[in-house]
Amino acid sequence: MNDISVAKPNRDGRPRMKKETVIDVAGLTPDAAKWSRIFDFLVVGAVVTLFMGAMHLHVMLTVGDWDMFTDWKDRQYWVLLYPISAIMFPAALQAVFWTYFRLPIGATVGGVLLLLAVWITRIVQWHVWAGFPFSMMLPSVILPGAILMDVVLIVCGNGLFAAIFGGWLFGFTFWPANYEALALAYMPVNFHGTMASVSDMVGYTFLRSNMPEYLRIIERGTLRTFGGQVAWISGAFSAFICIIMHFLWWNLGVAMSTVKFVPNGKRMLALMGMKAPSATKAATASALPNTTLLPLA
Amino acid sequence: MATVFSNDIVPAPGTRSAKKPPFTVSFNAFIVAVMSIAAVAVMYRSYQQFFALSKGLDATSVDFATYWLPVFRLELPVLFGAGIACWSYLLLTRDKALEKVTPVVELKRYFYLTMWLVAYSFAVYWTGSFFAEGDGMWHQTVLRDTPITPSHIVLFYACIPMYLFFGIGSFIYAMTRIPAFCRGISVMHVFAVVGPFLIMPNLGFNEWGHAYWLTEEIFSHPLHWGFVMLGWAALGLPGVLMQILGRMRELVPVVFGSRGDL
Repeated sequence: MNDISVAKPNRDGRPRMKKETVIDVAGLTPDAAKWSRIFDFLVVGAVVTLFMGAMHLHVMLTVGDWDMFTDWKDRQYWVLLYPISAIMFPAALQAVFWTYFRLPIGATVGGVLLLLAVWITRIVQWHVWAGFPFSMMLPSVILPGAILMDVVLIVCGNGLFAAIFGGWLFGFTFWPANYEALALAYMPVNFHGTMASVSDMVGYTFLRSNMPEYLRIIERGTLRTFGGQVAWISGAFSAFICIIMHFLWWNLGVAMSTVKFVPNGKRMLALMGMKAPSATKAATASALPNTTLLPLA
Repeated sequence: MATVFSNDIVPAPGTRSAKKPPFTVSFNAFIVAVMSIAAVAVMYRSYQQFFALSKGLDATSVDFATYWLPVFRLELPVLFGAGIACWSYLLLTRDKALEKVTPVVELKRYFYLTMWLVAYSFAVYWTGSFFAEGDGMWHQTVLRDTPITPSHIVLFYACIPMYLFFGIGSFIYAMTRIPAFCRGISVMHVFAVVGPFLIMPNLGFNEWGHAYWLTEEIFSHPLHWGFVMLGWAALGLPGVLMQILGRMRELVPVVFGSRGDL
């Protein structure tokens, strides 16, 4: 069997979706398919753990201040900066998955890995170690925007449109995607005769070493409403920057997943019993790697 | 998938002997490595739970000198010593006839290199995510007094040497045992290893800045952007995986034969 179409149908007449049919298409023997699948699992292990670490570190050290506590999730800078930073790795992952494997899952994978990494630390570090309540440490969620970004990629089929429409949606949907979880925190309360929000109250109760608030860049707007239009304005501006960020990081993702070599020195080659290539052969790229995987056409 | 092949050392498919032993790869060392990383991380986190807030708040206290300084003094030589021993072993036991590596052996070595990279990635996770945000929690709760805190003792001086062990190990393994990685230095492998490696020296800038410039721990402060940019180098890993994948696509039909040979 060399074609998926010749696989025997099931009793109900639908095409049989068995592993053998995929193996037939790939031309792999059962042994080869088994080891290929083992290799896949290893790659998944590497990608999941590495990008959980790298993405979380990146987001934490660029916009982590706004993400840590509900009372620091302001409508000016959190809504503006978080998507701009959080889109970078999902855009790069989207580029790698799409360019080489035609898998429109990169942004969603990035969103899931980031959320998973953040939740683990919120539970084990913040709550178990220092006793911060969960209601104070809800992480920002980028998943809806990431899914939309992947949907745009499926529909449009190229990185430029994924940047223009997907990147824009990623930034603009950040605020509504997070509002559901934070709506209660924005409720106004009377605190000693002064109007405050519920998240402010939680913040007054659980003091942190980096308070008072003026040490950080919390909003300095004049339209101090509870939620309201200002968050959407920040979201719209963020969406604009996200387009540029997506474009830059898509190309960075492609560049970083390209196979590149620098010729090794004669002495190093001799150490491993290898002969140095001739001068003309060394000058060509084919003399270095055995194989180059090219992007899908 | 469009692929460019240059079959300079790959025999033609179908030349495999029918009586060849089955292809096997040992996962023992890999499982031990991953379990060891997890065990070390859990052990450190448990130690923090018991002794960080109770004995580690004041770097000048007797308790700190009893419970935390010995950990700091012990872990650096142990972890770097283990690293140097492992790297030296890999170098000294290198394959001195890389031109003659058979496809079966080469394929096995690609599996082992991928295992090195998984272990490296796993160690990076504990550093970049788990203990890094734990350090954020520490600073928001306790502030800093010196560069040696119960959080830093784990994050900077244990976790970073741990992923360096596997990162540099993967690089030496590839260069000493796999022909393609010996013939040319993989630029993306250099990025994936050297970028996170440079986080260690960047600690000097970070601690200098916190000591003289900005004692408050604002996470998004430019003082921390060195860590961020060096973390971006992790994006080089897909490049390494692409190289492995490309070569494996050539080796698999040779080692296992194709459907037509059955």
